[in-house]
Formats: sequence, C-alpha cells, structure tokens
Amino acid sequence: MTKPPPSAADGGIFAATTRLPLPATRPLAVYAFDPSRGRRLGNTMTVDVAYEPLAPGPVGERFAVVDYDGTQNTYYTPVNLELPAILMRGGLAPSEVDPRFHQQMVYAVASETLERFQTALGRRVHWRRPSAPDGTDIDDRPNRLYLHPHAMAQANAFYSADAHAILFGYFKASADDAGHNLPGQTVFTCLSHDIIAHETTHAIVDGIREHLMEPTNIDVAAFHEAFADLAALFRHFAHSETLLDTLQKTGGKLHALTLKTKVAGEIVDPEKKAQIQADTIEANPLLALATQFGEASAMHGGLRSALGSPPTPDDIKTKTEPHDRGSVLVAAVFDAYFTVYLRKTEPLFKLWKPAGDGDDLPAPLAELLAEAASKTAETFFTLCARALDYCPPVDLTFGDFLRALITADLDFYPNDTDGVRDAIMQSFRLRGILPDDARYFSEASLCWPELRPGALPVPRLRFGDPNGLTSAEKDFDGAILRAWAQKKATLLGFDPAFAIKAESFHPMFRVDQNGKLLTDMIVELVQTREIPRFPGSADPATLTMHSGVTLIVARPPQLLGRRAQPYVRFAIAKHYSPEREQRQRHAFVANSTERSGPASRFGINFALLHAGD
Amino acid sequence: MPAATRPIRIRMYRVGFGDFFLMSVPVGASEYAHILVDCGVHAKPVAGAMDAALAQMHADTGGRLALVIMTHRHADHISGFASGRAVFATMTVEQVWMSWFENPADKQAQGVQKSLVATAARLTAALAAAGRADDQHAMMAENITGQFDVAAGTSSNDIALGVLRGFKTAAGAKTPVAYFSAGQTAKLPPVLVDAGLAADILGPPTDLALVAQMDNKPHQYLAADGGDDGAPLPPFAPAFATDGFKWQGKGPPVYAAADVVAHIKANQPDVLAAAAQSADNAMNNQSLVVLFTFHGKTLLFSGDAQWGNWANLLFGGAFGSPGHTTLTSGAAAMLAKLDFYKVGHHGSTNATPIDVVNMLNEGCTAMCSTAIGAYGHEDQHTEVPRVPLLAALDARTHGRLARSDQVAAGKVAADPDAGTLPAGIFTADAHGFIDYLV
Repeated sequence: MTKPPPSAADGGIFAATTRLPLPATRPLAVYAFDPSRGRRLGNTMTVDVAYEPLAPGPVGERFAVVDYDGTQNTYYTPVNLELPAILMRGGLAPSEVDPRFHQQMVYAVASETLERFQTALGRRVHWRRPSAPDGTDIDDRPNRLYLHPHAMAQANAFYSADAHAILFGYFKASADDAGHNLPGQTVFTCLSHDIIAHETTHAIVDGIREHLMEPTNIDVAAFHEAFADLAALFRHFAHSETLLDTLQKTGGKLHALTLKTKVAGEIVDPEKKAQIQADTIEANPLLALATQFGEASAMHGGLRSALGSPPTPDDIKTKTEPHDRGSVLVAAVFDAYFTVYLRKTEPLFKLWKPAGDGDDLPAPLAELLAEAASKTAETFFTLCARALDYCPPVDLTFGDFLRALITADLDFYPNDTDGVRDAIMQSFRLRGILPDDARYFSEASLCWPELRPGALPVPRLRFGDPNGLTSAEKDFDGAILRAWAQKKATLLGFDPAFAIKAESFHPMFRVDQNGKLLTDMIVELVQTREIPRFPGSADPATLTMHSGVTLIVARPPQLLGRRAQPYVRFAIAKHYSPEREQRQRHAFVANSTERSGPASRFGINFALLHAGD
Repeated sequence: MPAATRPIRIRMYRVGFGDFFLMSVPVGASEYAHILVDCGVHAKPVAGAMDAALAQMHADTGGRLALVIMTHRHADHISGFASGRAVFATMTVEQVWMSWFENPADKQAQGVQKSLVATAARLTAALAAAGRADDQHAMMAENITGQFDVAAGTSSNDIALGVLRGFKTAAGAKTPVAYFSAGQTAKLPPVLVDAGLAADILGPPTDLALVAQMDNKPHQYLAADGGDDGAPLPPFAPAFATDGFKWQGKGPPVYAAADVVAHIKANQPDVLAAAAQSADNAMNNQSLVVLFTFHGKTLLFSGDAQWGNWANLLFGGAFGSPGHTTLTSGAAAMLAKLDFYKVGHHGSTNATPIDVVNMLNEGCTAMCSTAIGAYGHEDQHTEVPRVPLLAALDARTHGRLARSDQVAAGKVAADPDAGTLPAGIFTADAHGFIDYLV
C-alpha cells in the first residue's frame, strides 16, 4: 500500500479522507423499570447515551462512577465500557449479580436524564460547585458528579451536595411481604430506572439554582420531590413498547390505574380472586414509581403513583409530609397531561367505536395514540423543565411554580392550540393550588407581569452561544450584572443596604413559533441577611435569609443593521417581608428534627427525607 | 363572674426530667379540689424524689383527686402511676382525661398507638444490637414503651395505663375516663364547675398529618435498616471486590480517594436516630392541651405538644398551607391574656413556638419541669432545656419563670446552673416542690 502524497496545493487543510467519524451515541442496555418486572415485555431497553470516551468506572466528562461500598468497606471492580467485548454487544446485559452492569446502568440513566434536561432547557446544565473538605469551593478541577451505586446497605438513595454525589443503597426485601421479590432477596436502588432519574433530577435542580433547596416554607421540600417524580414519570411515556402495551390494556385510557387482564378474550372481573397468574390485576406501569422498591419494603405496590385519589382542595391544606404534599403537585400536572392527551386524541376515538369492552385497539390506532401520548409527555416535561427558569430564586411555593408554568408556556407558545395552559389552570385549581398574590385565576393574572420592551436595559451584556459562556465572558458579565444590580437595587425591590450577588446567569437560545431565533439570559440576583432566631430575646443565634429576583434579559434581534441594548423582560421577585421572615423561622422549627452527619448547609436533608420512602 | 376569694395553687414537684403538677382549686370557704396533671419521670431522675413527691401529693390531697389528666403516655409523664401504684391504690379519683389517641373505641387511634409502641420496641432492640443502648435515642424509645418491669412481667407504661384506667371514685364506682380532641369543651366534675372552673381542649388535632407523619413512617425507617435480620450479607461474589479505585479520567478527580470514602461514610443517614426522633415527636404531639378558665384567669397546660399540635392551635391547620399563615384571632387573644403557662416539653426548642413567646401576656407566669443534660446537644442547638428559649420566656414574662431544678429535692440540692428561683412570685419553703398562686 502506498501512502497518498501530501498535497502541496491545498496546504493540508482538508480532513483526512480515511478518518472514522465518531459515533453520535453509545448504546447501553438498562432495565426499563427495575429487575422485579423480570423478563416481562419491554423491561430491558437500550439507552443511547451521547458518545464520549470513558475511563473505567465509568468516568466521563460529567459523571464519575466510583463503586465504593461504605458498609462492606470495599471497592467493586469498575466496568470498562471501552472493552471490545462490551462495545460489541451494546453494553453488558442486565444482571443483578454483576456490579459492573449496575455501574453501567447508573451511568447510562443519569446521563440520559441530564441530556433530557439540557435538551428541554436549550443549554448546558452545570452541577453545583463542589466544596473541598475545608469548605472552600473547588474551581480548578473538571466538575463531575459522583455516582456511588452501592454506597450503603440501606433502603435509601439520595443526592448529597456535601458529598457532591448520589449515594445509592441496597437492602434486603421484606421477609413476609415482598411483592414480586423473593422474601429477603437483595434489592438494589441503583437498578431502578425511576430512582436514578429522580435523584439525578435533584442534582440538576440544585445545580441550576443556588438557593432553591433551602426549606424556607412548607412547599419547598415537597416541590423538589414532586419535580423529581415528574421527571421520572414523564420518561415512562417515551418507552414505546410499554406504552403500546398499556394502551392495549387500558383501551386507550392511559390514566387507568390498573390494566385489564384478558384470558381467552374475556375481561377478568377485578372483584374475582385471581386463580392463575394471567388473572392477576396489574398496576399501570406508566403511573407507578419505583415498583420494586415499594414492594420490597412492604408498601404494597409502587413507591408513589402519579394519580390515585380524586382531586380535592383539602389535600393541600392538610398534607405536610414532603412526599404526600408533593404528590398533590404531581397529580395536578398529570391531570393536565391526561386532559390534553384525551382532548388531542378525541377525534381518533370518535372514528373508532368499540363494539364491546373487550375490543382490542386496531394497531394503527394504537400507534397514533402512542405518538400523541409520548409527544404530549415530551411537551409537558419540557414545560416543567423550562418553568424552573421562570421561578423566583428563593423560597419557592407551589403557587409560584404554577405562575412559572403559565408564564413559560405563554412565552414559548403564545397560541395555546392544545389547551395546555387551560388544562393546567383547571387541574391546579381543583387541588387548591393558588398563588398567594394573583387577583384572578386567569391566564393574564397568573402570568408574571412582563416589562415594557426597553424599559429596563442592561447595557453591554454578552450572551455567548448555546454551548455556554467562556471564562472571559463569565467574568465580564458577572462584573456588569453586579454593578448594574447595585445601581438598580431600589427599582428591583432590593434593600440597597445589602450587597447583591449574581448567583448565576445562563444564556438561553430557542426558536419561536415563527422560526426566529430568540436569545435570553436567565439571571439570579440574591441578597443575604441574618435574621434573629429568637426575636425579642438577647440570644445572638441567627438564621440566614435570602431574597432575590430572577431576571429574564432579552437580546433584541438586529433591526436595520443595528442592535438595541439588552433589556429585562421579566423580573420575578421574592423580596424581604416581615411575614417571610416569620415564615422562615417557623419552617426552621418544623424542620428541626435532629440532623445526622455534617449539616454545613441549610438545605433539605435528602438522606433522611428519602430514608425508607 | 365574681372574683374568687382565694387563688388556685399550682404545685410543681421536682422529680427530674418529667412532669408532675398538682392544681388545687379553692371550693367553699376553706376546702380545695385537686387536679393532677401528669406524674412521671424518665431521664435524669432525682434520687428518691418521686417517692417523696408521691407521699407529699397524697398528703396535699388527702387522698382525693377530682380529676387526673394524662397529657400523653410518655414515661416521663406517667411513670409515677406505675412506681407509685401502692400510693394511688389508696386514692379516689372522680374523672380521668386522656387524648383521643387513647380511646379504646377508636380503631385508628389504637392502630397508631400499637404501631408506635411496636416501633419503639424494635428501635430499642436495634439500638442495643448496635451497641447504643445508652444513647439518648434509646432513651426516647424507652420513653414510649416504659421500662420493663420484671416483677410485673410487663412494661411500666402498661402498668401506669392500667392504674389510670382502674381508679375508683369516692363513691366507690369505677372512675370514668373521657377522651378529647381539639375544639371540645370538657365537662368537669361538679365540684370544680361549682367552684367556677371551666376547661377548653385546644389539642391534639384529629388530623394525623398534623400530629406527625406517623402513619407508618417510623416502621419504614426500621425496614430500611435491615430490621431484625441483622447485618446484610455482601451483595456480590468476592471476586468482584478490589482494593482501590485507579482514577483514569481526563483531568484530576474532584476529590482524592480518601475524601470520597470519607464522604460516603459521613453522609450515611443515622436512620435509628431519625426513627427515634420521629416517634418521639409523634408521641409528644398527641398531648392533650387544656385551657382552664377560673374567675377571669386563664391557665394553659400544653403537655409536650410540638409543632404540628401547636400549628393547629395557633394557625387552625398546617402552618403555611392556604388559609393557615397567620395566627388566628382566637389564639392571639388567648395568649395575650394568659395568666399561667406550663412550659411544653421541659423547655425544648420545638415545643414553644416563637409566636407563643412573642404574643404571650407580659404578666404571665410560667413553670417548667426540666433537668439539664438529659437530651440534645448544645452545639446543635437542640439541648433541653433550650437556653435561649427559656431566656426569651423569662424576658417576655419579666422574670416570672420558674424551673423545677431551682429547688432541692430528694437527696439533691437545687441545680446551680438552673439559676435561682425568682423571689416574691413563687414559694419553695419545703423540700421538693415549687408553688405558685394564680
């Protein structure tokens, strides 16, 4: 073989014709739900993770899987996903007995979850800055989130900002009531697709917003649980095999809590006791979260369900436990989702009139319904993710989130063709979720007020590109924003006596309904003050209280060859008030169960919140 | 209503970390009718003090009680009924009050109690297995079950509950036991009604979510720990275990290997501690909260009510939920004219909300039964009694706060760290108790 001579004519600027294109994705096998569903339909699936070279662990650019078992005091052999024997078959096959598959699965599902958020938000998501053991920020090393798939022998999995990691536990299934598990078998939380997605979502939200995890009111912890559940649940609808199967077994009514079982064409009477396994009533897998975990800890079925009880405004008044309270928000979002799905598919159902209850959906109809269901799920997930950008930077309530949802949707889709906003407003109203300060329950009243274009300019701000800002751009923007905020402090509602920090700023790029590129920047401005723990006493103990504004700054498009200054479109504020101060003191008392481990940050203790849930 | 010629006397017996209060209501020209509010000690008992206090109480009452109130069934509120059962056997009681959680006819209540006691028993075993039988979480668990009484073959709490349910009236009939929840007006024995006393029940709420997230949560914490099956086996074949982790990622790791191991170990939640704490809170929140009114004076006995119970009392529901964000006018008015307050839960930080301190009548008098060093840690701001809270109460009431450990009892002198009993308000002439005249 002869080497082609170097061409003098083109100066060697062309890429070699012999180069191999890098693959776009790396296929990796995972459990679609968890091992308890066994080999039932569609329980193994392949996740196509964005390709990146991986070191043993796996260790990539965003995640480092380090498999240390804190109970057994040992490491487990890390998987090397670059080995030809593994590459060739799309990753190790699902297995409970090989820790290397577990490492592969946490890597794959965590990466998948991160990618879904980045796609929805239209930008790169950053992790919280890790802190060194002495409490200082670590800035000089690639910021990877640690994943510990077998951190402890405990029915628990949680995101820990202190460890900059997600810790997954393993435990023995209940000896007397283990559901589909063998009594006493080992159950791994790191093999539950839902649990991995849920915990990764906590880490993502904590990275996006600096102070959103401070439990300053009754809704905060509940919101984080609900949001992570929503992210895990909406993913179910992207799994086409399960979706089609569920459509068949619910006659297209995806919100049904249980599946119809059919033996020889006859619908089984749910009242009748099952005689053989084909008779057993099965829960709708799309609506149940972390089934194996729930059954193994004798909770009769899934950890939580998206729906489950009829809507009532009383729940929001009485449910205080974060998961219970969060489930009210999850149900509200899912009610809206099913309303939109049923509205969109109504014509299809009108075309097809079943002759009897036992009729199967014709395959093409099922395909159309599945498409509508998964597209609508994607719309809702994207909306929930984007709504984060429209939340105030501190002290979030369910009512604020409702306003953020409505505003985000209105901002992206001014024409509500599918009736998403109407469905959301109705389902939230039915559950008594109302903003504190909206005067009417209408779209215009729920939407955060928009500023007049150009009324509040932020001169010279740089927007970078969708891959983020360079270090120089970050330094430049940081200085601009701090100086600007201090100058406009009073106008923005801040107390000029306290310094204003620009906690984060992210450029955001999106294409509007007319195909035009819109560029915005999301900015978090925050003020910190100390409030007395025991007002009226001489005690010097204090609590740290944050106030702040989320700014959405637009970069106007060029017009006649000129570009106007960037200006603020929304200023979403949560400022100091004596009521908020008092509320935070109460929240502190209500949360003051003893903490274990280092409590360096005033944050939700997910370790205890998630224990045994 | 005409002003009473003679005041009510509140007598707080010092027994250690536990409540033992006697309220003596003047009837007729020179007589008294007596109400016993709790009788127990658990952590940090003062040696010999309980027996002495029981004898004193018997003498104080002449063996006749108009009413016995059990706020909740923690050992530090009821153990005296078990250890002093011989004394109580010689006494008569006209009525017994308990919270709705003790109602044998209420299936839900019975389920809650059964689950709490079972949880506490398992916790005791699990903590003992972990070599932690002496830590404060083991004390919390034992406070729920009571100590095991070898001679009686049952727990001291069960004996105490038996005593409370087995009293006889002066007329020789079986003493009726009444069960109450927030919002009810209790019917007092006629002798007290005639004296001008009335009682409103302000807690506990009937909403379980407010009392605690107690449905089956503590049980789950235990399932989480492997329960009674002991330590879990290694999850994988030995061949998968290795000595270390060779970092080959691009660029340095965020943490050195030793820091990663330290993080994993440091962040393991202490589920046993959390379960004990949660069960303890749930039981405290069952406290019967009683507001007495006597010729224009008001007296509040809040048991060990904690946040959920108080939230219902102060805000009419779960604080922060729609419609329950500000103090109800009723609660504000009640606090603004209160004359006597029995400080909840031995002065712990979560048993007297800040609103209560700030809204309290500045002329109010407060009494707190407590002992230093039984629970909590000063560095975590969880010590009981919580120093700043008592300081705030003392400031608000202009020094009208008494602590049980400010008087000598049994073989123990007054605790110098507790400060001195405010002069001129309370009397502590005798050994073992402090009096206040309302």
